[in-house]
Amino acid sequence: MRHVLFRLEKDRYALPLSAIREVVVAPESFTRVPRSPKAMKGVMNLRGRVVPVVDLRELLEVGPGPVGGPGRVVLLDRGRRELGLLISEVDGIESLEKIGPPAPRASLAVKGLARLGAIPVTVLDPDALDATVARAFTTK
Amino acid sequence: MAGPSWDTSRYLTLFGGEATEHLEALGKDVVALERGATVALVDSMFRHAHSVKGMASSMAFEGTAKLAHLLEDLLGTLRADVARADAAVADVILQTVDALGLHVKAAVASEPLPDHGALVTKLSELNAALAGKPPPVAPSAPTPTPVSQPEPARPVAAPGPSADASAPPRFSLKLKINPASNQPGVRGFLAYKRLSTLGNVFDLKPPLDDVKAGRVPQGTITLELESDQTEEAITRTMRTVADVELESISLLVKAAPPPPPSSESDPNRVVGQEPARTIRVRTEVMDQFLDQAGELLLATSRVRELTRSVPQAQRPALDEAVNRLHLLVKGLHDKVMEARMTPIAVITDRLPRAARDIARRRNREVELIITGEDIELDRAIVDELADPVLHLLRNAIDHGLETPEERKAGNKPPRGKVTIAVRRQRDRVVFELSDDGRGVDVERVKALVVERGLLTADHLQTLTERETLMLLCLPGFSTARDITDISGRGVGLDAVRRAVDQVGGTLEIETTPGRGTTFRLSLPLTVAVVNLLLVGVGDEVYGLPIGKVGGVVETARERLSMSQNAPVLQFGQSVLPVHELSALLEVPPDVQPPALVPFVVVDGDDGRLALAVDRLLGQREVVLKGLSKPLDLVAGLAGVTILGNGQPVFILDVARLVTA
Amino acid sequence: MAKKVLVVDDSVFMRDIIKDIFAAGGFTVVGEAGNGVEAVEKYKELKPDLVTMDLVMPYRNGIDATREILRGDNKALVVMCSALGQETMVMEAIEAGAVDFIVKPPRAEDVLAVVKKVLGEA
Repeated sequence: MRHVLFRLEKDRYALPLSAIREVVVAPESFTRVPRSPKAMKGVMNLRGRVVPVVDLRELLEVGPGPVGGPGRVVLLDRGRRELGLLISEVDGIESLEKIGPPAPRASLAVKGLARLGAIPVTVLDPDALDATVARAFTTK
Repeated sequence: MAGPSWDTSRYLTLFGGEATEHLEALGKDVVALERGATVALVDSMFRHAHSVKGMASSMAFEGTAKLAHLLEDLLGTLRADVARADAAVADVILQTVDALGLHVKAAVASEPLPDHGALVTKLSELNAALAGKPPPVAPSAPTPTPVSQPEPARPVAAPGPSADASAPPRFSLKLKINPASNQPGVRGFLAYKRLSTLGNVFDLKPPLDDVKAGRVPQGTITLELESDQTEEAITRTMRTVADVELESISLLVKAAPPPPPSSESDPNRVVGQEPARTIRVRTEVMDQFLDQAGELLLATSRVRELTRSVPQAQRPALDEAVNRLHLLVKGLHDKVMEARMTPIAVITDRLPRAARDIARRRNREVELIITGEDIELDRAIVDELADPVLHLLRNAIDHGLETPEERKAGNKPPRGKVTIAVRRQRDRVVFELSDDGRGVDVERVKALVVERGLLTADHLQTLTERETLMLLCLPGFSTARDITDISGRGVGLDAVRRAVDQVGGTLEIETTPGRGTTFRLSLPLTVAVVNLLLVGVGDEVYGLPIGKVGGVVETARERLSMSQNAPVLQFGQSVLPVHELSALLEVPPDVQPPALVPFVVVDGDDGRLALAVDRLLGQREVVLKGLSKPLDLVAGLAGVTILGNGQPVFILDVARLVTA
Repeated sequence: MAKKVLVVDDSVFMRDIIKDIFAAGGFTVVGEAGNGVEAVEKYKELKPDLVTMDLVMPYRNGIDATREILRGDNKALVVMCSALGQETMVMEAIEAGAVDFIVKPPRAEDVLAVVKKVLGEA
């Protein structure tokens, strides 16, 4: 299946191409969402639509450090709404066929590990990502 | 019919209990029928008979199912003319109910089912007499099979594949309905509907009416489908339709003559069955219209904002152009709003029947009077109110009205009255639901509130009567002694209040002991455009709906009085609790707070309160956008909008902000 | 993962039969509702993969409930449960957006066949 490959700092991640609506340059600032979990970066105005954006690094709890540079926002297609994921940079589109089990203690949003040549790639599950965000809100 | 494919014994007790319940309810209905037949009453009886039939046939008690089926038929006939339900008819129905009761008893005891041949004949005859038809000679066949006819010749001027190169490709399809299917008509219709979602269907054979009626010779349907989908996608879609097989599909070559202009009159053309004067629009499309019109409004205000940086010399012409654009866009927006208006009857139409059901289950007698149901509101508001209104009705019958005996003792007519009156009041719609029951026992409400620890006795003292009544809407409050299946389920009054708030309305309760209670909903006509007071806290901006704002007082923090160690604000005759908006929203407040702090007085759940903010940024008319997941999980946010400078701004739900 | 089903019928008895069929067929019945109003609420709450919906119910019949569910989620898969003789109502339900129907009394193999088709598993 074709996946969009992207980076959080140096780590490589992938999401199924079919789950992604588009990728945009992150805006200079977000409107903070009050009373929201730490991973909630804020909302952005995307051509007149208000889109919630999550800091993927915080959501996956993969160590500290902000996303370097302006970053990109990957827009997940969630039917009649969309969910933005703040990431560092998009690498491209690759076909990933063999997806092995995830690393121990990985976030529930991780579907498994794949390899691109020698480089390990963490494959994320869009539905589980969405659920993880909702859970972060309800357990805040 | 094939027997059930499972072990039925384990369902026997359940069957007995539930069937008996339905028969008892039916018995009660028959009694009511003798007092006066209504369509709603016959409907209810039909439903009970129908349920018994379904259960009996599931258990393979064919005799019972047959009897119930005949009763269902009779009630179906009666429904068309309820006036014919005279004492003799009621008698036969009662006999049938009793006979079914005996069946159920025997079934549960695993005894042979009694024979009711005479009753079966009587029922058939009565039904035939009422329907004005001779009794059937033999049990009717499931579907009338027409004499096989030769396939009609293809009309010479049939709309063939379009020669227009821009038209989507056309496929020729042949479908076959599984001959074992017991409802071939519905199967065929389902296949047709599914294909219609992929494109336009032409040249359907047999015609749609025949397909729906199950008149499909050899189970074969042919049609042409104009669609952008690939052959594979069409095949895949058809694979999800059970019992219909796609026998063949082929792409038609675009070479045939253009469609005749008179294609409208072609009986085989099944596209656009609606007459042309009104069109149906999917509600989803209407929502998109509104979204886009709203975004146009926002885009226009953005343009207006940008013109401010244009040199003065060029301003007048530009301003005029922007003003004209704004008027046009506003006009378009208004038209879209108008198209979304829906009569409130959409909700109230189902209430008489619900009222009867609830009243019957609670041994109440009720007369429901509805006026003004043709008044229109935005569809989103009507949708939002459907369940709350049903809850208010339940509440009125279940808790408001007394039993007929109690009413007689209190010199009231035994039948209670619930009135729903809808009327326009300037730019709002007032929806009132009143009962003439016992009224709310305010002292009992107070006692319960304290008992459940929702408020302290001291706090209660400070409340006005109106505020005390609003305690009914506190989450976790219920005056019902026990949780009944009628009022205890689903939404409570707190949810009613929440829904009314959500659409920008207000709720008031009035009660007179012994005389009854009125719930008054004051609703905006539309939800999408709201007036906001914009406030600044720290470096963030929020909107407060003007409808909830009672006033603004600017004063120094030091000048606030204290009550029980908490600051309070003197506002007119009342003393209001003060909340720091920065704390509620977890915003770092301004490093240099202003000397004079603006306190915004707003309506909360337990009366008014004051919100301390850093800055007032003026009033603005904005297009409200609803919050989608996960933002809807944040307590205290009512919606979001985008300001002219492109910045998204959240609109606050003050009541929830301070309670949640 | 087992698909999640919401069973809507005003008869507890009928719900039990349908639930057992699903359980035996490897589905998870995540919830049940006894009327149309409840069905709409439960749908929003549970987000099942599929709903089986009785036609004739108190408060809000199956067709209205189906319409309402689809208004909230246009990808919802609603399968109607009907008795023989209710063809017109079933067609109205399909018009309203129901994706398929099963006929009562429900037979396990028919129910599972229809449901698997609808879910694209067959």
